[in-house]
Amino acid sequence: MQASMRRSGKVDASLLYKVFGGVLFLYLFLGFMVVPCLNTLTSIFTIKDAAGNTDPFAVIRFFFAGNMPSFVMNSLKLAVTLVITVNIVGVSIVLLTEYFDIKGAKILRLGYMTTLIYSGVALVTGYQFLYDKDGMLTTWLLQIFPNMNRQWFSGYSAVLFTMTFACTSNHALFLRNAIRGIDYNTVEAARNMGAKPFKVLFKVVMPTLLPTLFSLTVMTFITGLCAMSAPTLLGYNSINPEIVRLAGSTVADEAFPQARAALLSVILAMFTMILLTILNHYEKKGHYLSVSKTKAKLVKQKIQSPVANVLAHIYAYALFIIYMTPVVMIVVFSFQNWQAIRSKTLDFSGWTLINYFGSQDYSYTTSRGKTKVRLDAISGVFANEKTLGGIRLSFVLSALAAALACVIVVVAVNYIFKHRNKKRAALVEGCLLFPWLLPTILICYSYRIFFNQKIWYVFGNNMYYAENVRFLIVMAYTVVKLPFALRMVKAAFYAIDDELEDAARNLGASQLVTFLRVKLPIVLPSVLAVFALNFNALFTEYDMSATFHSSYGTSYAMVIQSMCNEEGRDGMNMNASGRRCASTVFIMVVSGLILYLVYGVGARDLGERLERKEKRRKRWAKLTGKAAN
Amino acid sequence: MIQLKDIIVKFGDFEALHNINVHVKEGEFFTFLGPSGCGKTTTLRTITGFIEPVSGTVSMKGQDITHVPIEKRNIGIVFQSYALFPTMTVHDNIAFGLKIKKLKKQEIEEKVKTIARKVDLSDEQLAKAVSQLSGGQQQRVAIARALVTEPAIICMDEPLSNLDAKLRVQLRNELKKMQKDFGITTIYVTHDQEEALTLSDRIAVFNKGYIEQIGTPNEVYNFSQTEFVANFIGDINRLESGLVQGLKLEGSKHHFIRLERVRVNRTKEEQEFQAQGVIESREYYGLYIKYYIQVAGQTIKVIEKNDGINIYEAGESVTVGIHPADVMSYPAEK
Repeated sequence: MQASMRRSGKVDASLLYKVFGGVLFLYLFLGFMVVPCLNTLTSIFTIKDAAGNTDPFAVIRFFFAGNMPSFVMNSLKLAVTLVITVNIVGVSIVLLTEYFDIKGAKILRLGYMTTLIYSGVALVTGYQFLYDKDGMLTTWLLQIFPNMNRQWFSGYSAVLFTMTFACTSNHALFLRNAIRGIDYNTVEAARNMGAKPFKVLFKVVMPTLLPTLFSLTVMTFITGLCAMSAPTLLGYNSINPEIVRLAGSTVADEAFPQARAALLSVILAMFTMILLTILNHYEKKGHYLSVSKTKAKLVKQKIQSPVANVLAHIYAYALFIIYMTPVVMIVVFSFQNWQAIRSKTLDFSGWTLINYFGSQDYSYTTSRGKTKVRLDAISGVFANEKTLGGIRLSFVLSALAAALACVIVVVAVNYIFKHRNKKRAALVEGCLLFPWLLPTILICYSYRIFFNQKIWYVFGNNMYYAENVRFLIVMAYTVVKLPFALRMVKAAFYAIDDELEDAARNLGASQLVTFLRVKLPIVLPSVLAVFALNFNALFTEYDMSATFHSSYGTSYAMVIQSMCNEEGRDGMNMNASGRRCASTVFIMVVSGLILYLVYGVGARDLGERLERKEKRRKRWAKLTGKAAN
Repeated sequence: MIQLKDIIVKFGDFEALHNINVHVKEGEFFTFLGPSGCGKTTTLRTITGFIEPVSGTVSMKGQDITHVPIEKRNIGIVFQSYALFPTMTVHDNIAFGLKIKKLKKQEIEEKVKTIARKVDLSDEQLAKAVSQLSGGQQQRVAIARALVTEPAIICMDEPLSNLDAKLRVQLRNELKKMQKDFGITTIYVTHDQEEALTLSDRIAVFNKGYIEQIGTPNEVYNFSQTEFVANFIGDINRLESGLVQGLKLEGSKHHFIRLERVRVNRTKEEQEFQAQGVIESREYYGLYIKYYIQVAGQTIKVIEKNDGINIYEAGESVTVGIHPADVMSYPAEK
């Protein structure tokens, strides 16, 4: 025991903290992770037959007898093909912006990275805006090919297309870092030994990217398997939409829907566990690390063949157009009136701010020839209480959950590092990584079913009832974001020199002061980055919103979806699409701003901040000096 | 000033320090020297309170501080990495300990400015982030932070090990000057014998958790008490059978001679043993030249001052002279 711990007062206080922390952690882990999921698992085997006897294998028999395997097969098909397409596009965008010398690479990179601020339901609806039966591109194509299928953008191919471009964010972040970490001397050495540029690419560069690519492949596979928003909105019968449908169904409609949903969730969990075990095993083998002591920065490679160079440029800009068109269209049409949006044609006289601010009435003639006026049928995001309410709710719940995940993880990682190499630290880490093994939908479904009754350990409340559902959403949001937050924050804690803690203690700081004033400020940029990434992802997420959808839990994604469904019906919500565009723009601005503040401003160290301050001071002095002159 | 008595430290079943006894005098620059894993840092951390011994006592000015908490020992530490808080300015780094002690703001300002002046840090540098300073300036901040709380002693754990060779030499001199100016008792940990010899008043040479010898730099270099110390401090030749017989030395012992004590092409002195040798190769160091000479069936290393005239070529025959009084002999280690 350390000398400082001997003082009886301190021992008591720290023991109290430890007991309180331990009990709270166990309560959260058991109450909000283990018990609800266990309940889902047992529900599969506790089906009662007509005679009231338990039939543990009823659902499994039903699974093989009915069409349930088709949902699993569809999800697998999507996952497998998505791995191929996402890797092709993901590797392409990274090579085109980081490895090859392509003109306008900086602009291209910005376009490829739009998925960081434009994701989830916003992205899917963006694609719908362009490609669905009334979409802009479809309308335009129909003018050229009147006989083409209006519904061409639906089902498997539409989901695959949309998700291919939606799921390259991780490539844009992590593969980019990996390629930037390559020692250029190795490329030069290969060239010096006579290797041609493409040989260098495949024999020297790509092998060093393989570990990152493998991780990304596994994550993409899981994303495809657990896909929710794209299959739901574009109409594809995969596992997740079916789970949500079954969760909302009753025994009066069909045979034991809850147990079937549970079975599908468990199947998904099994796939996820297998894949993560493979990933974990692979990651333990280690990555290729540069052994160079003087690493040279990668120099972009010119494509020597003029034909290949032109083709590469065409490919790069074609991808750019695919990424950027929905974003640009959303921005442009957010300033168009509802008539222009409906007809999907730009009306240069129809510029308006009505999708953002203010409201207008709408008069229309009924089938009986009467003229009716629908008050405030056309309204902006900031004037429409329902839209604003959805945004506000999503904003608050996402911010709360992102912050809660960060707080839990920072405290836990501090504990893990303090007790590293001890079993209890490994146990805490294992508990926090536990949600990774479970698909999001399993957690949400388990919450929805388990907490839809009075539970003693939440003070006898039904947490799915009325406003309580918001607490449930925050808990679900938090739980699913814990593993990601843990990995990122843990990496940040590795950067803290042990001697800093010793120094603070030597100077008389208590453990709490050392944590708050020395360690926390060091990891804060990373914690804020985790907060921002989690917040952005949760703000527009669809899966959990759909599972918890209720009158008290209508998040932004669900508000948008329901408004667009009833657009124009009985003169209501005439500009729902315009408002959707405006709200997407608003969210992109908020997400972009948060990312800028966190990565741009927050990532600067104290030295950089002081240097900038000094420059500003000098500039100001120069300006005021001139003014005085 | 600081006394360690029969200190034993264990990590699990592993005994890291075995019966360590040291007495550091007031105002002394005392160095713990030894290879990696020998126990020097563990001893330092026992003094500072980061490690509690399983037995033995640590006392300061006659008072037992073995179980006194780290922050109450009044010991300043300069860490290997300096451990400067990267999110604070130089000023805030130095003021950290004073703020923890809840001193008045004005008093903190005065103390920070005074110590900054003493370690040659300007007001402009105080407003900077530590990342904006050079290695040498960072070291001064670390020293200022350790000294500002007016500790009874200061402990330094390899503070020069992360710096390049040139800066290391420069800062070594600054460190010595500062220690003399402040007159503070200093315990210094290093594995670099040159650093230990140039800086210290006394040195404790550690090996495998034991102290092999405590003495002045001259004592540990010229009168090494053990074979380990003789080998660890400076470069040395072990004499093999040919030379041992020639010098009529005891065959059951191990015999060593420092490089600079071997004489080349000199007039024979009384009792000196001389033998013919051949230059195998040489290394040119500017100030001196190191020769590898084949003599009496072994290769010995010799250092000769570079006078620009007597420079021997490889293959050249030379006379090698060794005085028995210069030979250090130790019982053969089992």
